Amino acid sequence: MKTKDQKPKTKDIKIYCDITKCVGCRSCEIACAVEHSKSKDIFSAVREKPLPKKRVTTENIGAKIISLHCQHCEDAPCIKACMSGALSKDEKTGATLHDKEKCVGCWMCVMVCPFGAIVRDIENHIAVKCDLCPDRDEDYACVEACPTGALFTGTKEEFEKKIKGRKK
Amino acid sequence: MNYVIIGGSAAGVTAAETIRKQDKESSVTLISDEEFALYSRCLLTYFIAGTINEDKLYFKDKNFYKENDVKTYLGKKAVSIDRKKKSVSLEGGTKISYDKLLIATGATPKSVDIPGIEKKGVFTVRKIDDARAIINMLDSVKEIAVLGGGLIGLRDAYALRQRDKKVTVIVKSPQVLSQMVDMDAARVIASILEKNGIKIMTGVAAKEITGKGSVEGILLDNGERLACQLVVIGKGVKPNTEIASVAGLKVEDGIVVNEFLQTSDKDIFAAGDVAETYDIARESKRINALWPCAIEQGEVAALNMLGEKKTYDGSLSMNSVDFFGLASISMGITKPKEEKKYEIISRTGENSYKKFILKDNRIVGMVLVGDIRPAGVVSALIKNKIDVSSIKEKIVDDNFNYAKIMPVVKEFGDKFKQEEFRDTVLSFK
Repeated sequence: MKTKDQKPKTKDIKIYCDITKCVGCRSCEIACAVEHSKSKDIFSAVREKPLPKKRVTTENIGAKIISLHCQHCEDAPCIKACMSGALSKDEKTGATLHDKEKCVGCWMCVMVCPFGAIVRDIENHIAVKCDLCPDRDEDYACVEACPTGALFTGTKEEFEKKIKGRKK
Repeated sequence: MNYVIIGGSAAGVTAAETIRKQDKESSVTLISDEEFALYSRCLLTYFIAGTINEDKLYFKDKNFYKENDVKTYLGKKAVSIDRKKKSVSLEGGTKISYDKLLIATGATPKSVDIPGIEKKGVFTVRKIDDARAIINMLDSVKEIAVLGGGLIGLRDAYALRQRDKKVTVIVKSPQVLSQMVDMDAARVIASILEKNGIKIMTGVAAKEITGKGSVEGILLDNGERLACQLVVIGKGVKPNTEIASVAGLKVEDGIVVNEFLQTSDKDIFAAGDVAETYDIARESKRINALWPCAIEQGEVAALNMLGEKKTYDGSLSMNSVDFFGLASISMGITKPKEEKKYEIISRTGENSYKKFILKDNRIVGMVLVGDIRPAGVVSALIKNKIDVSSIKEKIVDDNFNYAKIMPVVKEFGDKFKQEEFRDTVLSFK
């Protein structure tokens, strides 16, 4: 597990979930919410109002579980659907960025995100999605928090190598 | 190369951006009949409601044209196209020659043919000037009538209600959103509007707008009279095809285009609300005058103008609205005419409603009211035309989400057009 690596900033790197290792403990969800809290401390974060919002979910596939978040699609449907200009592509990092100042909560992005990875923040009436932890220099909060090593930051080749190795 | 674009909204601006991204040398010219540029029409009702100010209407940076080296003619209407000389004429006589031309002239609100329609205080909401004029009048207005209970009418009514006006919506059909949802869903939506002070009158039409110079009221076809100082017509749009038909291009409902968004003239393309494209759910030609479709079409048309052979996958009708916190989404075929040919899976809750329309085990449409979480995942199943027989029972479940379709993603991997789908199932055996 990479924990202290520099936060990846290239297009080819993304967060993968090794479904065979995810146990659905929701550590990723908690770490994500804490990372997006004002205090960035779990004990204070639970008292914040409104509560900080997580941008990753664990979902069941039959008996298996996946930790799922925005895939930062290369050709992102949400950006094309966004009629307020709130969603855009960072051409350097490939990140799909959401500007909450411009968001009006029309839910066009919710309507077209194939992964269901953009959700409504009903209290603030804006969309919420994975922002790749802009306040962190080290690895992403969800990946760092994953106790089983299911979440992985790297290139597709690296991830494929990792899951091949595991089978031997 | 000389690239010329008529239209400065979603399709036109996206086309200019796409061309400039790939071609730094050629000249790109954009003509728009509006001076106020780069604003999102879909935000106008938010502007009228007072939720956002004019500065937030932009969907691109204010300096977009300069930064992308796009020559503009703003506030100038393109009046004709000379296909032989390959030039566009503007009002006032200016001629602009093109090698490749994009018509993205958009649409105009439909009006109603009743006496009094010309009175002061009757509006449609399409352009920034309409919105500004309505806002300027608000202080002197207490009661407002909105004609039309479709999406446009209801959005207008919702905006004006947020200004604390007494708003009445006049709906010809027996229900609101008659083209989008059936009676059950319409009832849920109408009830939240009424709870929040919008009066909805169904099964009636305006017969006459009364008043001396300005609007003072409406006479309905049931004989009732309604006092109001402002009338908003929210009845849908019709495509601005005139320039294309005069130029002899093939026009049916909208400008007819092929899979490369090329019109009957190989050097002229069309995109956005004016173009009649292949509809994915209906498998026939249709105008889907919607923001996301205009963006996609602007991009595809531009790539083809650049000489790439880029096929347009097709458009899909889709809408998302949120009235007083009640979110609703509709997509594809929502009210099939020949019901026998379709399978309908639906579930009605107290304040929610879900309906999926299937044909030959493919989802071709959906309506979600209240809980809209599954919309995006289902949109992928519709767009990629996926056989859902193995997961059909699950789609109305409360916890239906992406994970539930992963077995299908694994099975039909190649049918999902985006690479990211395959990334999610790499370790899924």
